[in-house]
Amino acid sequence: MAAPIGNVVIPGDIFSFTQLKSTDDAKKILLGPGLKENDLEIKVIRPGILRYRKPGVYWVDCHHKRYIPSKGESVIGIVNQKVGDIFRVDIGGSEQASLSYLSFEGATKRNRPDVKVGDIIYAKLLVANKDMEPEIVCIDSYGRSSGMGVIRNGGFLFHTSLNLARKLLNPQCILLKTLGNRFQFEITVGINGRVWVKAHSDIQTIAIVNAIVASEYKDNDQIKEMCKRISKAVSRMEVD
Amino acid sequence: MASFTVVKQEEFEAQQEKGSAHVLRCLTSGLSCLTRQDGSVSLSQGDTTSIAVVYGPAEVRINKEQIDKATVEVIFRPKVGLSRPEHRKQERIMRNTLEPAIEAHLHPRSSISIIIQETEDLGSNLACCINSACLALLDAAINMNYMVAAVSVAVKENEDMVLDPSKQVEKEAKSIITYVFDSVNYQIVTIASTGSFSRVQHMEALKLAREASKSVFQFYRESVAKKLLMSE
Amino acid sequence: MFEPATEAKLADHCTLCVHRRGILTGQAGQYNHYVWDKSIPNVELSPLCSPNFRPGPPGEQAQVLSQNMDDLLKTSGCINFEDLCICPGKLSWVLHISLVCLDYDGNIMDACVLALVAALKNTCLPAVTVDEETGDIKTDPTTHTPLSVACCPVSTSFIVFDNNILLVDPTNEEEKLATGAVTVVAEGSNLVSIYKPGGTPLRDDQIEDCIDRALERSLEAARLIDDTLCSIDR
Repeated sequence: MAAPIGNVVIPGDIFSFTQLKSTDDAKKILLGPGLKENDLEIKVIRPGILRYRKPGVYWVDCHHKRYIPSKGESVIGIVNQKVGDIFRVDIGGSEQASLSYLSFEGATKRNRPDVKVGDIIYAKLLVANKDMEPEIVCIDSYGRSSGMGVIRNGGFLFHTSLNLARKLLNPQCILLKTLGNRFQFEITVGINGRVWVKAHSDIQTIAIVNAIVASEYKDNDQIKEMCKRISKAVSRMEVD
Repeated sequence: MASFTVVKQEEFEAQQEKGSAHVLRCLTSGLSCLTRQDGSVSLSQGDTTSIAVVYGPAEVRINKEQIDKATVEVIFRPKVGLSRPEHRKQERIMRNTLEPAIEAHLHPRSSISIIIQETEDLGSNLACCINSACLALLDAAINMNYMVAAVSVAVKENEDMVLDPSKQVEKEAKSIITYVFDSVNYQIVTIASTGSFSRVQHMEALKLAREASKSVFQFYRESVAKKLLMSE
Repeated sequence: MFEPATEAKLADHCTLCVHRRGILTGQAGQYNHYVWDKSIPNVELSPLCSPNFRPGPPGEQAQVLSQNMDDLLKTSGCINFEDLCICPGKLSWVLHISLVCLDYDGNIMDACVLALVAALKNTCLPAVTVDEETGDIKTDPTTHTPLSVACCPVSTSFIVFDNNILLVDPTNEEEKLATGAVTVVAEGSNLVSIYKPGGTPLRDDQIEDCIDRALERSLEAARLIDDTLCSIDR
């Protein structure tokens, strides 16, 4: 019996290595989140859909609302505190992340970045480890900001499930493209389930937020239909 | 936010037809029934209903912090009034049942809190509360070693066994035993009983409850699948 | 008044059980079970018995134990509630049961049950007369009738080590290292309760083993209690 790829698995389900190997002939099997090696078996430890990618990578895709930091992911955080040379940033995990004032583009000891408590920050996780405090940075390895940093000039920040955030970032999801055809807006999506949106008017911003929240369980056709309805409603409201 | 309701229909029908004492009452679950929580579920077993929510892995209070694993907290809220010693006992049973099931060492220095609100106790309340807590953990996608399923069995005065007893049966019964099984080997995680019974009755009740627990696990799978496959 | 007190001692662990009797007057029409609902046996785990306990309101463990004792009294049938009734609908005895732990070294449940049963068996109730006209209550301390205790439940606790080793009568140190616990309360060939609050899952044969040993021990312990009570000089 082959492993049930694409099917729902729940904690306590057990597979053998031979079961997984039968899907491809990769020499080494890599277990991602949600799977645990237990003696000669593989045990599922969280409910979700079993996924597979060549060569030999398996993981469980599940629905979270709580973010668990993981290295290299781009997140949106809120600055909560300024302690000496570091900022404490709430990124939705079980602990606040730390952000050094030097990890901004062009920042030096003299030239400090302008960051205040309450600011929204788009950053990348440099350290994310279950035993250590997560650390975020606003520069890439070349020292350039590449889009990261403090998000300014208004807009609206809201929380979604992690699943929806991943869906928005998935290139196959047409929601943002379809919305972009009808409205002009800026959007930043953090993988930690936080989304920042700014459009020309408040009505448009709210409409976009509603469209995003409503799209969680819709497929592409339904999304197109919804966008059409929303843009009609917005244009009617803006005329009033 | 969407909520996902699953009703285990065939059991409902079986019960209606035969009025048999050896099937579980109708199971209904609503996953993600609340919006602000990391995991939430409302579960009813027949007319007994409870709501369970899970937060976690979240920030932990410094005096409860454990450096090698997550702190698991269980809070049980009765339908009316403040919690009394009997609720403390239930709380403790539930915490000890759920804690080993959770892979707590994957989230050190954090807390996983489970809050269970009794909404309607019409028999087998402890079982309903444990099952709802387990479903809430699944809804929050907390890492778990195994799942747990609780089943109550009542032994009547005339030595008959009733699975998943209603309030009326509970009142008349000689004893009520609640068993909790794990989902991997169907071994015994918890036993809690009131009233005296014989050894043979225990064995018989255990067998009955174990069979029934399998359909509870199947129900968990269906509930979770409904939620997950919705966004496919 | 004579207040029976018993001390149960399991190796390094001992518990004292004191019964205080009181008379509860109820409104006409109230039935006697009401009295029992009001008197929960109280288990006290004070700093006296171990440094693990803090002064102040009872902690979770003490509350759970009190509840266990209460469940045991009500469901084991060792006391017939009607025996406590003096004048139906009006007057009834109420037993205040305080279990005070003196020296805590684990396995508190077994010690409490032992002390509780021994104290119940040792309880004597004086004769009471009620003056029909004035409603005065008179107790006659010279004539005692022992409280009839129908059965003698005995609790036996086990802990689980490393998921498969079962150990009977654990000490405090052993309890701290355990990954699970089972308590079987047996009375003759009947089981009053099996209490396994979570922990590591156990196989059926392990539970069977616990039951076997508990049944065996219950006979021994019951005999011991009876022997001790016989030797008391009244």
